[in-house]
Amino acid sequence: MIVIKDVHKRYRTDHGPGKWVLQGVNLTIPSNVNVGLIGSNGAGKSTLLRIIGGIDHPNKGQVERRCRLSWPMGQGGLEPSLTGRQNAKFVCRVHGHQDDLTDRLAFIQDFSGLKAAFEEPVNTYSSGMRSRLQFAMSLAFDFDIYISDEVTAAGDAAFRDKAAAAFKSMANRAGLIMVAHSDSTLRQFCEAGILLYQGKAQWFDDIEEAFKAYKDTIKK
Amino acid sequence: MSEVRNPMVVSFAVWKAIFLREALDRLFDMRAAWFWLLAEPVLHIGFLVFIFTVLRMRTVGNADVAVWIIVGMLAFFLFRRTAVQVTYAVDSNQPLFTYRQVKPFDPALARAVLEAFLMAIISTIILSVAALLSHDTWPHDPLLVLSAVFGLWLFGVGYGLVASVLMALVPEMEHILKILMLPLYLISGVIMPLVVIPQPYLDLLMLNPIAHGLELVRAGFFPYYHTVQGLSMEYLYAWAIVSLFLGLMLYRRFALQLVMK
Repeated sequence: MIVIKDVHKRYRTDHGPGKWVLQGVNLTIPSNVNVGLIGSNGAGKSTLLRIIGGIDHPNKGQVERRCRLSWPMGQGGLEPSLTGRQNAKFVCRVHGHQDDLTDRLAFIQDFSGLKAAFEEPVNTYSSGMRSRLQFAMSLAFDFDIYISDEVTAAGDAAFRDKAAAAFKSMANRAGLIMVAHSDSTLRQFCEAGILLYQGKAQWFDDIEEAFKAYKDTIKK
Repeated sequence: MSEVRNPMVVSFAVWKAIFLREALDRLFDMRAAWFWLLAEPVLHIGFLVFIFTVLRMRTVGNADVAVWIIVGMLAFFLFRRTAVQVTYAVDSNQPLFTYRQVKPFDPALARAVLEAFLMAIISTIILSVAALLSHDTWPHDPLLVLSAVFGLWLFGVGYGLVASVLMALVPEMEHILKILMLPLYLISGVIMPLVVIPQPYLDLLMLNPIAHGLELVRAGFFPYYHTVQGLSMEYLYAWAIVSLFLGLMLYRRFALQLVMK
């Protein structure tokens, strides 16, 4: 479970503090629900994911992580000059899996479907290959909640089905928080939704209602 | 839910992971990157030893000039490489801060330790080769050498920490620090013996803690070495410890500005 209390966030710009991106977000995200973040461009979806993931800090308010939480899969997280395998090794070590390194690496290579490219530097990868590597890396660990920023959406259709199936199969033990630009991806993965609008967040048990509420905010 | 890892265990895991990643990068990033790590000091030393012994003199202040240059150069390289590597530690590891276990200080520490390792190996190789060429390269006071070298390394770490925060806060600092680094080679007594400098200026030059460090390392190598007046290990360590604590404080205060762009 993740408890988000009164989170405020704004970024420093070249001309002093910018406008508030998040302004008093209060949420409780349970562990075994797949939830999609919905909002227009610049509504703060990625910002909220980064704050939940603990790699950015709110100006005010706090986030309690009462579970094992993945890193935000998305931009970054891969060192371009290292190979896929070396990156995967790094992540395994950081997460304390020195002992069963070989097994996890085998899993990552297999699930990502990178084959020989696993031994090539990441800066030779296409964006789809990067996402597959990131996604496979995070599935190699037993997190309670996975955070995905556009990653699952970036692979091709076959990989997306494989990823969705992986999440369905562990629906009772793990949850997912995701941002994706395509509505169909969100519908494929998530049952609940969070709408971000004007710095506030609203929880919907059914993602269709979140979409409906989002359409209403656009009309205004 | 499995048990929560102890914070110390997490830190050690992160340090090990970054150390291995950095070692890979430093040794195998380019074609034969490891060769250039060794070649840079060897070429500097070879060139200067050639100039000194062929054109000018055979001893400096009672010491074999070849060993005098080797020792000074290696000590200076240890400081400079540590300082530069730590300065850019956060920048070069930007993608890895996606994992919240990794804190800005971790790559700085890993790089500093890696640099100490590499310089220890490089120094051993160069001193051994010089010994085979029948120079006396065994220090007469190894403890003095070690403590001076450690002081220089520590100051390198402190300098790097402070410099990286300054550069993150004021981008123009990068140019100023680079300009400062350039004459350091000359005024620290790497190639010019400080003993020959006349008085009012010598005191000014001895404000530089690196000059103290280099002279102390040499004093540890040669039993009858004429050192500069007013040489002080305490002065070197004062700079090292103050810069280190200042750097750590700045890292704590500005950790976010370092990682966020």
